[in-house]
Order: sequence, then C-alpha cells, then structure tokens
Amino acid sequence: MSGQVVAAGVVQVVGGVLLAPLLPGLIQHIKGRLQGRRGPSPWQPYRELRRLWSRSPVDPEGVTIVYRLAPPLVAACVGGALLLLPIAGLSPAWPLGHDALVLVSLFALARFASAVSSWDTSGGFGLMGASRDLALAVSVEGLLLAVLTAAALPTRSTDLLVLSDAGVGAAAWASPAHWLTALAFTLVVVAETGRQPIDNPDTHLELTMIHEGPLLEYGGRDLALLQWAAAARHWIVLVLAIELFAPRPADFAARVAVLAVGLPLLCGALALVESWQAKMRILRVPRLLATGGGLCMLGLVTWFFGGRM
Amino acid sequence: MSPATWVTLAAVLAIAGGGALSTRALRWGLGAQAVGAAALGGAGLWCVVGRAASTPFVTGAVWAFGLDPLTGFFLIVLAASAVPALLFATGYLPGTPAANIVAPLTAGFVLSLVGVLTARSAPAFLTFWELMTLLPAATILATRHQASARRSVFQYLAITHLGGVGVWVAVLLVTAHDGLDASAGMADAGRALQIVVALAAVVGFGTKAGLMPFHSWLPRTHPLAPSHVSALMSGMMIKVAIYGLIRVLFEWLGAEPLWLGVLLLGLGTLSAFGGVVYALFQHELKRLLAFHSIENVGIIVLGLGAAMLFESQGRPEWAALAFAAALFHTLNHAVFKSLLFLGAGSIDKAVHGLGLDRLGGLLRRMPWTGGAFLIGAMAIAGLPPLNGFASEWLTLQSMIHVVTGGAGADPSTRTGGHVLIAALAGGFATVGLAMTAGLAVLCFVKVIGLVLLGPPRRPQCADAREVPWPMATATAVMAAMCVGLGLTPGLVVPRLMPLLPGLPATASPTGLTVASLPGIGTVEGGLSILGTGGLPAGGMVIVVGGLFAVLLLARGRRRAAAAPVWACGQRVDPVLLWTSSGFTKPVRLIMEAVLRPERLVSVDEDRGVPQAVTHEGAVPHLFDTALYRPVKARALSAAAVARRLQSGSLRTYVLYLLALLVGALALGRWL
Repeated sequence: MSGQVVAAGVVQVVGGVLLAPLLPGLIQHIKGRLQGRRGPSPWQPYRELRRLWSRSPVDPEGVTIVYRLAPPLVAACVGGALLLLPIAGLSPAWPLGHDALVLVSLFALARFASAVSSWDTSGGFGLMGASRDLALAVSVEGLLLAVLTAAALPTRSTDLLVLSDAGVGAAAWASPAHWLTALAFTLVVVAETGRQPIDNPDTHLELTMIHEGPLLEYGGRDLALLQWAAAARHWIVLVLAIELFAPRPADFAARVAVLAVGLPLLCGALALVESWQAKMRILRVPRLLATGGGLCMLGLVTWFFGGRM
Repeated sequence: MSPATWVTLAAVLAIAGGGALSTRALRWGLGAQAVGAAALGGAGLWCVVGRAASTPFVTGAVWAFGLDPLTGFFLIVLAASAVPALLFATGYLPGTPAANIVAPLTAGFVLSLVGVLTARSAPAFLTFWELMTLLPAATILATRHQASARRSVFQYLAITHLGGVGVWVAVLLVTAHDGLDASAGMADAGRALQIVVALAAVVGFGTKAGLMPFHSWLPRTHPLAPSHVSALMSGMMIKVAIYGLIRVLFEWLGAEPLWLGVLLLGLGTLSAFGGVVYALFQHELKRLLAFHSIENVGIIVLGLGAAMLFESQGRPEWAALAFAAALFHTLNHAVFKSLLFLGAGSIDKAVHGLGLDRLGGLLRRMPWTGGAFLIGAMAIAGLPPLNGFASEWLTLQSMIHVVTGGAGADPSTRTGGHVLIAALAGGFATVGLAMTAGLAVLCFVKVIGLVLLGPPRRPQCADAREVPWPMATATAVMAAMCVGLGLTPGLVVPRLMPLLPGLPATASPTGLTVASLPGIGTVEGGLSILGTGGLPAGGMVIVVGGLFAVLLLARGRRRAAAAPVWACGQRVDPVLLWTSSGFTKPVRLIMEAVLRPERLVSVDEDRGVPQAVTHEGAVPHLFDTALYRPVKARALSAAAVARRLQSGSLRTYVLYLLALLVGALALGRWL
C-alpha cells in the first residue's frame, strides 16, 4: 500500500467523520452572510453534536426495538458509504469494495431505517416526512442511476475509482455527454443533501419537513447520530461531485488540493442557491429531476453519435 | 440411470404417497410431501453442480422425462418454496374448511410442477402445463364458495387459457420443425417462423408468469388460494412459466435477435414498474403481495432480455452474468415471496383479516413470525445485505452494461442504429428498475409499518398470539435463507452462469467454468466482476455491522422514562393514525396524470350545516378499464355475430360442410 493510498484512506475516515459537520455549518454561515446577517459560526454543528451527545434520549411511548436500532443503523450505513468514496481516485482496499450501486444501496438502507422508525412511533409528522422522503427518493434514485449510467459510458465501469480517474484532465470534457451528466448531477447533489429548493433543512414547521420529519421524536445521542449522518451525507455527495465531475489534473496532490478548494466552493454555491431559490412545491420536484434524467439520456444519444466538441 | 433420477423418482413417489395419505392423516401426509420436495431439491442440486448427465428433448408424440442442469435449478427453486410451504401447511391446514381435499390437491399441484420441469417431449410438457393451471383453480374452488371467488377463478382460467394458446403454438411449432432436439434449435426454420414462435412464447408464457400487460388474472387469483398454495403459485408456478420462456427463447429458437431483447426489456420494465405502482395502492396484504409478484417477474425478464442483448453484442461473459442474475432473482423471489405469503397466512390465522389499515403492532406480539416477515419485506425491497439486493444489484449492473456495451472509447465503433437502440432500451430499463426499487422500499415500509409496528388497530391484533411452531419455523427458516443467499452471491452466481444455453464452444463438457470467463471472480462470499466495483456481500456486513455494533455500544442504555409522541399537544386517537392511502399519497399525486385516481367527497348538509362527510377514493386498475374491458366487450359482440351461424337448421349445417370440403380441396390444390 503506497503512501498515497494511506493518505486517501486518512482523508476518507478523518474527513468523513470529523470534517463532515463543517460542511452544513459552512453553508449556514455563508447563507447568513449572503442574507446580510452575521450568521452562525461554521463550528455550530460541532457544538450541537457535543450538546446532544451529553444528553439522555427519551423514547416515545410504545415503541419497539426498531425505533431504538434505527439511529445507529443510519449512522453505520452512512459510515460504510464514507469508505466507498474515492479520494483523488484512490481508496484503501476496504472489504466493502468500491461500487457505485453499493453506495446507492447503503443510502437506501439508511432511508428505510429512518422511515420505519417513524412508523414505530406512529406520529403524524414523522410519517408525513417519511412518506415524502421516500416518494422523492424514487425520482432521486432514478436520476442517480441515469447519471451513473451516463458516467460509465467511457470506461464501461461502475467502479467509483475507475469513474474518478476517467474524469481527469481535459479529455473528458471534449464530449458533450460529460457536460450534460455533470449538469444532471447537480440536481442529485441538491436532492441528496436535502437543500432548497427541494427540501428546507432549517424549517421549524413540522408540516413542511421532509428529511427532518422522521428525526422529530429523537433526542440526545440518537439525534446526534442522525445529525452527524446528515452532515456526512453532505460530505459524501459533495466529494462525489468533485471526484466525478470537477475539472482537475492527474497529479495526486493536485487532486487533493482541488478537493480542499472545491468543497468550500460547493458549499458556497449551495448557500447561494438556498438564498436565491424558494422551496418548490413538492409535487414539482419529480419534474425537475426528470429534466435531469432527460439530460442524461441526451448525453447518451450524443455519445453514440460519437459526439465531440 | 443416475442417482439424481432415482432420487427424483423416489421424491415423486413420496409426494404422491403423501398426497394419498393426507386424506386420512393430514399432518403425516403433508410431512411426507415435504420430505419428497426436499429430496427434489437434493436431486436438483446434484444436476446443477454437473454430476448428472443431461437428458435431451425428443421430438414426436412420445412421453419422455429427464433431467438437466436447468431443470435441476428449477427443482431447487421448487424445493425452496415447497418445503417450507408444506411444513407451514401442517400447522395451517388442520381445522380449515376442506383440508382433506386441499392437501392431496397440493400434492397434485407440486407433481404437475415437477412434470412440467422434467418433461422431455412436447406432449408431456403440454399435459402437465395444463394440469398446473387447473389444479390451483380446483384448490380455490374447494375452499371458497362465494360467487366473487368463482368469478375470479373463471377469469383466471379464461385468461390463462387464451394466453396459453401461445404456449401450444410455440411448443408445437418448435416440435414440428425439429427444434427440440437439434443443437441449433430452429436456426434453419426461417426468420418468419422464428418471429412467430418468439411472440407466441412471450404471450403464452408471459400470461402464466403474470407479465404485464397479460397479468390481469394474477392479483385476483393468488390472494384467494389458501396461503401455502398462494406461496406455491407465486413462488413457483409463475417461475415455471419463466422456465418455459427460457427453454423456447434461449434454447429452441436458435437465434438472439436484437428486437426480442429490446421487447423483453420493454415488457420487463413495464411489469416491474407497473406492478410495484399498483401494489402501492392495494389495501389487502395478499393482493399487494400478488402485485409484487408481477414486479419481480418483470425484474427476472429484464435479466433475460439483457442476456439476449449481450449475446447479440457478442459479450458471452455478460450474457452469462445477466442470465445468472435472472435465475438468481428467480430463486430469491421464490424464497422471499413464499415467506411473505406464509407470513400473511400466519397473520391471517392469528388476527382473522388482512386489511392493511386494520392490523398493527404484531412485531411485539408475534416476534418470530413478525421478525421473519420484517426480513422478508426488507429482502423484497432490495435492501442490503439480503438476497433481493444481491440479485437486483446484478440485474442493474447488467442493464448499465447493456448501455455501455456498444460504447468503446473509439467513437467510430459507436455508430449504428442497433447500438443506439440497445443503449436507449438499456438506459430506460436502468432508470425504470432504479425507480422500481425505490417504490418497493416505499411500499414495504408501508407494509412493515401498518402490519408490524405502531399500536394495534383492532382488538384482535391487541390479543394476537404467536402461531404454532410448524408455521413459525417455516417462516423463520425462509428468513434465514434470505440472509444466507444475500451473503453468498459469490457461491451461487458462478454456478448459475453455465446454465445459459448455447454458451460458446469453449465450454467444457460440464458447462463453462467461471474461470474461463474473463474478469469474473468471487471475493469474501461476494462477487468481483470487471466493470463493477464488486459486491463483497460479506465485507459489507462486516464493515456496516461492525460500525453498527460500535455505535450501539457507544450510545449506551436508556435512562429516561418514555414520553408521549409529539402531536402538537393532542392525544393520538386511533382515528388520527396514518393509513395505507395516506402514506402513498405523495406518489399518487405525483403520478396523477398516469394513474387517474378517483375521488368522491359527498357532504350531507342540513340547512347549510354539514351533517356528515363521506370520502371515497380509489386508484382504478387502468389495464382492466382501458385494455381488458374493451377487449372483452368486442369479443362478446363478435361472439354474438358468430352465433348467427348457429341457426340450428340441418340444411345450413350441410351447406357449411360442403363449403368446408370445397374450401379444403381448393386449398389443397392451391398449396
């Protein structure tokens, strides 16, 4: 195992576990600035996690083991997904492999666990969020697979390491398919991170919650695990966006540098979108995502006509 | 004769004897049937690992039976579904109406399935095919006497027989052109004939498999049968149709045309997506499960279509993988769908009634059945690390590689309409399958929530007790199989790949070995395939399970007392609980333009003051209203026209005879 692989592994674990909460913190901070407020400190999520970890959770009446096991399972799924991520096209040989569809399935398992937990409490608000989350997940998964299929065209592989290496340098950008796929992936980023215009993570009104709804009953360490998982999802999706679609040179150190610069930039971009877009009607979301799917199919067609720019 | 043949014969005798015995000693008879079914599985395993010689098909009006690896695999599927179902029946049947008629009929049904699978000539195949259709109908008629049930059985027989014409046409045409025993199949018979056979097979076997749009009988009939027969119908009978489809399209047709692969992808996507969408809006557990059978048949057919496209692209390793994905999903679906049907039977026995909105809280009260049902529901939803995920992963990978198949780095190799057509079909199938998986998660979250979790919504659910041990054991064993198969795709898939008929000539006498295919290997119980990041199922469980355990320990124990659920300070009364239609409302609204849900709100007013509000909503099954009903109406009016020919007058009939004779003579002369 070379030094670069070890370094990639360190970034995977340390970045995913420790730096992940910084991303939503940064978005909130930049958003505050954009709105003319001072905004919360970027370190605010860490303070919240520390506070939550020190508190004892309270169970709702009548819940079963399903409710109690859900938060660690959600966090474990997202934790496993962290290890699937390529860092500068490298990853240590974790026993998980590095397949894109495995990552999608771990997200699905996490979503399942949190939705089932809200059935266990049978609270109306949790179920409202869960039913919307799962309904939107249908379109998100469809779009994600369309993106992965289009991204797999040049290398004929769904291996994340291979996909990451395929986008290196200027050659990939010569094909219109790559542009269209990258554009479609931005929609995945917004949807999977639960940001406006698709979801509003800041809402305190139960009726408008999507991702936050199933978290409503949880407190203490359970909530800390779930909030960390939400932050780690930001990390995973944003790192994936850079690893697959950011223009970058082939050199390892330069690719890590692109990652270090790209993550705050993407957080800024998300904050900008959040400040300028209102949350859209939930029934409109699938149409927006279908547009992304259409872009991927268009990319597919251009690819098969040997499209070059 | 090989040992596998002897074991199969002994198993058939045991099942027949068990059937005869079960009219007097119900439990012993069913037990003997279960032992026989288990022996069938053993014989099947023997064939699949390649120890038994293959018996070829023979042409002509003879009775011939035999075994080969493909038959062996389906015998394993039969055992996986029948052994637990029969074990379950020993606890389920006693005390139910007509138990001593249902038990021998079950034996007959299992034997007819074995007959179709082991048939080696057209007459044997078609005879047992018809028996397989009729026996479950007899079982339903023996247990249900309502007019509605009889009507459903009639529809079942009508639709499967009309569709079944396709089976007869396909099998008889293949026999007539010596396609059964020739190694090249019908390759010399001409293109037009191949098209006819392929379409007839898709319609005929597709009807029996419940492939959309030929599926209308399935959700009506499966829920009516006793639960163990439902499990056999959904777990096995529709798989036998898949077996027939494989024989005709892959073995006897002798060609892999592009359009057929694209057609299979289209029908598979329609079935998978349509099945799960209509499953979402069902309010009865067994009916919901029946719609999921349509979905899963769609997924299996997607794998078969992909295998066909790979063959036409000249990529044998992916053809074998896609074929193995289809077979693996066949096995997996037999396991988890039988588990869910048996679990539904247990729940029905415990609480009397399977209306989804009137269950609840059963995980706590029936921990074994409930736990097994939970695992089965997760497996069918395609969640890792269970078996449904493993086969859906492989199917999805096949779809993606259909798209990338014609996509080399060199642009000059990518042109050509056929490449683009295959790629677009694969692209739509990929997206369709991904959305199907998402909808299946939504649907089974709903099922788990309404059946197993939350407060009991009926007094019977509050008093529910765990069912007798044979029933609880049957479901628990199947749950263990879901986990086991999910963890070992690397052991199963390489043994299924050589079953693809007509692999290239490099194959060894026992079939192609995995080692001879480039880029495919096993790793930690999982699969490592070139062009994917691999599916190390065992490694996934170790990593995610380890993290889960660590986090569970780190979180520590509960200290505080429980508090009420937050409902804005209200008390959560039973009327405020979420319902099946409430949870699926976002999907219903999103897909409103396609589904056309019906909604009727009537307000009863007295001098401007509302006295009562009633609300009715339904999602109509558009295939029934837009496809079957017009066809039925046309058929009836055509029959009314045809009836005029039947004048009852002897002279007219003599005239018909004369016209027929002249016509036949003229035709003979002209041809």
